[in-house]
Amino acid sequence: MTPALAWITLLAPLAGMLLLVASGGREPSRGFTRLVGVGSVAVSFACALALFLQMLGKDDHERALVSTAWRWADLEGLRIDLSLLVDPLSMMMMLVITGVGSLIVLYSTEYMGHDRDYRRFFAEMDFFIFAMLLLVMAANFVFLIVGWAFVGLASYLLIGYYYEKPAAVAAAKKAFVINVLGDVGLVLAAVMIAREVGALDFATVFASAPDALGAGSTVAEFVAVMLFVGAAAKSAQVPLHTWLPDAMEGPTPVSALIHAATMVTAGVYLIVRCNVLYQLAPHASEMVAIAGAITLFMAATIATVQEDIKRVLAWSTVSQIGYMIMAAGLGLYTGAMFHFLTHAFFKALMFLVAGIVIHALAGEQGIDRMGGLRRYLPVSWVLMGVGCLAIAGVPPFSGFFSKDEILARAWDAGDLGKVLSIVGLAGAVLTAFYMFRMFFRVFHGPEPEGGYDHEPHNPTIIMTLPVVILGVLAVVGGWIQIPTVNHGINTWLDPSLLADPGIEASHATEWRTIAMSLAAAVVGIGVAWMIFGAGGGRRRIEMADRFPALRRFLLDQWRFDPMIDDAVVAPGRDLGDTAVARFEPRGALGIASLGSGLATGAGRLVRASQNGMVRVSAFGVVLGVAIVAVAMILGR
Amino acid sequence: MPWLTILLALPIVGGLVLMLQPRLSAGAARGIACLVAPATFGVACGLLFGFHPNRGPQRQERHDWISSVGLEWTLRLDGISLALVMLTALIFMITVCALVVKFLPERNPAVYLGLILVAEGALMGLWLAGNLLLFYVFWELMLVPFYFLIGVWGAEGRRQAVTRFVIYTMFGSLIMLVGIVATGVFAQRVTGQFTLDIEALRGVVFTEDQSRWLFAAFALAFAIKLPLFPFHGWLPGAYGTAPIAVTVLLAAVMSKAGAYGFMRIGLPVFPDGAAFWQNTLIVMAVVGIIYGSVVAWRAPTMRLVVAYSSLAHLGFVAIGIMAIDPQAAQGAVLQMVNHGLVVAAAFAVVGLLARRSGREGVDDLGGLADGAPWLAGVFLMVTMASLAIPGSNSWAGEFFILVGAFRHSAWAVILASLGTVYASVYMLRLYQRTMNGPRGATPGKAVEMGGADWAMLAPLVAVMGVIALWPHGVLRATEHSVERVVAPAQQALNRPASEIKAAVPANPPETSLPLPGDPLPQPTSPTPNTGATP
Repeated sequence: MTPALAWITLLAPLAGMLLLVASGGREPSRGFTRLVGVGSVAVSFACALALFLQMLGKDDHERALVSTAWRWADLEGLRIDLSLLVDPLSMMMMLVITGVGSLIVLYSTEYMGHDRDYRRFFAEMDFFIFAMLLLVMAANFVFLIVGWAFVGLASYLLIGYYYEKPAAVAAAKKAFVINVLGDVGLVLAAVMIAREVGALDFATVFASAPDALGAGSTVAEFVAVMLFVGAAAKSAQVPLHTWLPDAMEGPTPVSALIHAATMVTAGVYLIVRCNVLYQLAPHASEMVAIAGAITLFMAATIATVQEDIKRVLAWSTVSQIGYMIMAAGLGLYTGAMFHFLTHAFFKALMFLVAGIVIHALAGEQGIDRMGGLRRYLPVSWVLMGVGCLAIAGVPPFSGFFSKDEILARAWDAGDLGKVLSIVGLAGAVLTAFYMFRMFFRVFHGPEPEGGYDHEPHNPTIIMTLPVVILGVLAVVGGWIQIPTVNHGINTWLDPSLLADPGIEASHATEWRTIAMSLAAAVVGIGVAWMIFGAGGGRRRIEMADRFPALRRFLLDQWRFDPMIDDAVVAPGRDLGDTAVARFEPRGALGIASLGSGLATGAGRLVRASQNGMVRVSAFGVVLGVAIVAVAMILGR
Repeated sequence: MPWLTILLALPIVGGLVLMLQPRLSAGAARGIACLVAPATFGVACGLLFGFHPNRGPQRQERHDWISSVGLEWTLRLDGISLALVMLTALIFMITVCALVVKFLPERNPAVYLGLILVAEGALMGLWLAGNLLLFYVFWELMLVPFYFLIGVWGAEGRRQAVTRFVIYTMFGSLIMLVGIVATGVFAQRVTGQFTLDIEALRGVVFTEDQSRWLFAAFALAFAIKLPLFPFHGWLPGAYGTAPIAVTVLLAAVMSKAGAYGFMRIGLPVFPDGAAFWQNTLIVMAVVGIIYGSVVAWRAPTMRLVVAYSSLAHLGFVAIGIMAIDPQAAQGAVLQMVNHGLVVAAAFAVVGLLARRSGREGVDDLGGLADGAPWLAGVFLMVTMASLAIPGSNSWAGEFFILVGAFRHSAWAVILASLGTVYASVYMLRLYQRTMNGPRGATPGKAVEMGGADWAMLAPLVAVMGVIALWPHGVLRATEHSVERVVAPAQQALNRPASEIKAAVPANPPETSLPLPGDPLPQPTSPTPNTGATP
């Protein structure tokens, strides 16, 4: 394999971004922007494809390529290089990132056509592709973290793309801050690895981790948990998931690429990449699996009441990543990656179709203002149908194979696996239900009262072609791994999985799971048809009125946002306010006077900021508990 | 050529000329300033050549001055000094040139420039001083120009601010002076010679009590200067009222004096004291990180946000030093440079916004990215560097600090990491409130960067980029010096021999004999009167 190809794959999008940024203070011609914006990603895809072909020609054990640019730091023997790793796992990610990325960037040239900041959009998209490639191609934890943070930055910029909109600005900030929390998790894992192993490059760490960390040791569990903090923040797992639905403030192609197909699955990649470390940490692995299962179920329930087409898809994304994380936690690494692959196809497909619908209706996102669109957008109707069938798990569409693989193998992965497999099945019913709820309400039924706000129009070939390609992939993508027929994914990923426990489903389980997940899909779709499809959706209103409390709870998204605000945000804010207003003006010998100030003015102070003081003390308690806990865990 | 002496004499002489020649024409004053600062930078760059990373202190220049009190003109250069010399020369050159081109005050511009140059010389002297008393002389000298710069040219409230600044600093430095004298006296009892040479004092075996109290006397001065929580009382006033160029210098360069003091004097001369106070100082640093962050989050003006962010960032530097670990200490040195670059750029942006819009409040502006895309882009980069996003120069330093400190003080690392989450909150607040959202009264076009702004910010961002991509360059130059600095304290903490990378000499050498007439050295038995006073 040629190292230069790997570097071009990585750097072409960066070059595209720099070119767009450097092209003067004025907005350059749209043709130039299109050429650079799409061209750089296409070049990257071509190089990745060439590398892939080269890799196919190699034996299993020769399929890893490490290429070093220069020594980034040598810190008392801790050597850190700027180097890339191309192996089957990163290859798979690279192909999806650049392939789906090219399609979505192409689609954007028309979707964003009315925007006056055309160039900025493509510069930021190119930057994202670069960052995402860095994340998956890094050969050590340091540059993994760098890529990890850069995709967070790209995500921040693109969520806040419409920066004059306060909602977009707030959503961008929320996404960024939660992801910084994730970065902190990764950094702490890395410093622990550096301490115990004395190296940070994947090859050394994974080779010496079993001895240096020790199976089931506290250190190994610490590393695995901290890595999961990073994974949960990036992949929107409970309780760090709240930013992803808000991230829908970004343009739709951004949602398709970053917040569905690629970036949000980085957590899955991380766990699969660190499979050695997770095999050393059984408790952390179980925690990961449980978190994934909770997420997939919770998100699926919330998706059933969403009224905004993009938010339905966003919660569906959270839920589907839950499946992958659950699989990764159970040690089903190939299953997780398989579902990542099919999900990238069908979810990008559905977002892009949603984009066509939104574009056709001039920015309308509420599914209440849609309905009956199959008459106007027949191609989109078919494509969205393909996506929904794929995610619902109907054969022979791709999602069926990947979801079935996870559920079947989970069943044979111990007691916890059985429980989670059932949760996954319940999630499958909900998935089929909420997807077809959206499908029927958007494309079937009567037109909205008073007609559409804007006459629906079909997009041109530029926008249709990428969606059709994704549609085809969403159909056939699952055929590379059909139970009892072939094992494309397993065989391909084998060299990258150093510690795959190799859980396989028995034939009996396999057939039973197929039957049950088919039944789940049929039940979900059937119920959705009865309520929203048949008879023009008249039963809808009755259902909404029947369980008002449950509906409220789901609409509040299980009340995570206010909870987090009360527990984390408000105490810090109030401490800051109190400090700014009370402590700081006195100078900081005034911190000494803080004591006396509190004593003398206690009454006044309490009255003035009663709410605030409670939160300050809550913050103090939380901080104190944290300190004690940390001291107990790590004190020696 | 005595290049080290030239390095610090050049700006001082230049500054004195400007100050003492009131009838100098404005053009001539500008010309001199514009000549001296780049020339100093040139000399500093010259020091890079012929620097041997694997040797300790080098290029020694030593002359007797007032030897009866132990004051000698001793200058030395090692990796740590070199990093700070480069930072100082760069920041002063950029600031002075920007001032000369555009932002000079109307009142007494020549004196203003002269004071700035004197401050540069004093700081250079501080980084190079190889003698405790000389160190003290520069320590005090540096205060004088800043006193006048804030007191005369500052904004409203400068009187109170500058008084507080001076009282805090003087309080610390007077105690340090007592410490210096005591150090000389105690050391004489051990080695038989009265010397205040820092290299000669390295490895002197003080009793534990002596070492603790002497370290404390120095540490107080350093902690105030750094500043460490809760000694930061002077910081908001001084940073908030000084002319913005002076704030840049205070935050980017002067604030390193405290951290440098810990490395140059605290750890190598008083290893037992450093070991004793280690956890106290780390706790102060951690509290400072979190406290500084939440205050920065709620601070009302743009300047104060950056000022308090400084408190948080320097907390990381303090952790890096007090972790007493070569990796962490290397990170700390790198982070001193990084913080200097980033905070200078941040204050430059904030100053630009305040000057063009006439407003200081965080909430007064909005939607500026619309008309000022370049400024928004540069500000975004500065914001990201300030919140230490992985991949930025600041993160490199911070990461090394965390790696090193985690080995011995995992709790501090975990708590300090939370500070980085808050950093994203307050820096994004600053960025988004000004650049994003609905448009405020000031249109974006009015604040877009002009030539002078580019000249100030582009070099800073470029250096930040180089360090982000290749921190090895800085690390390589400082590695050996840092190992030497940390080794005695590592020994005092009984760290495993594999971690101690530099030899610690016995002082006095075992072979040496006491001089006739000197009291016998008693390194093992404690002296009868221990305590802070000689």
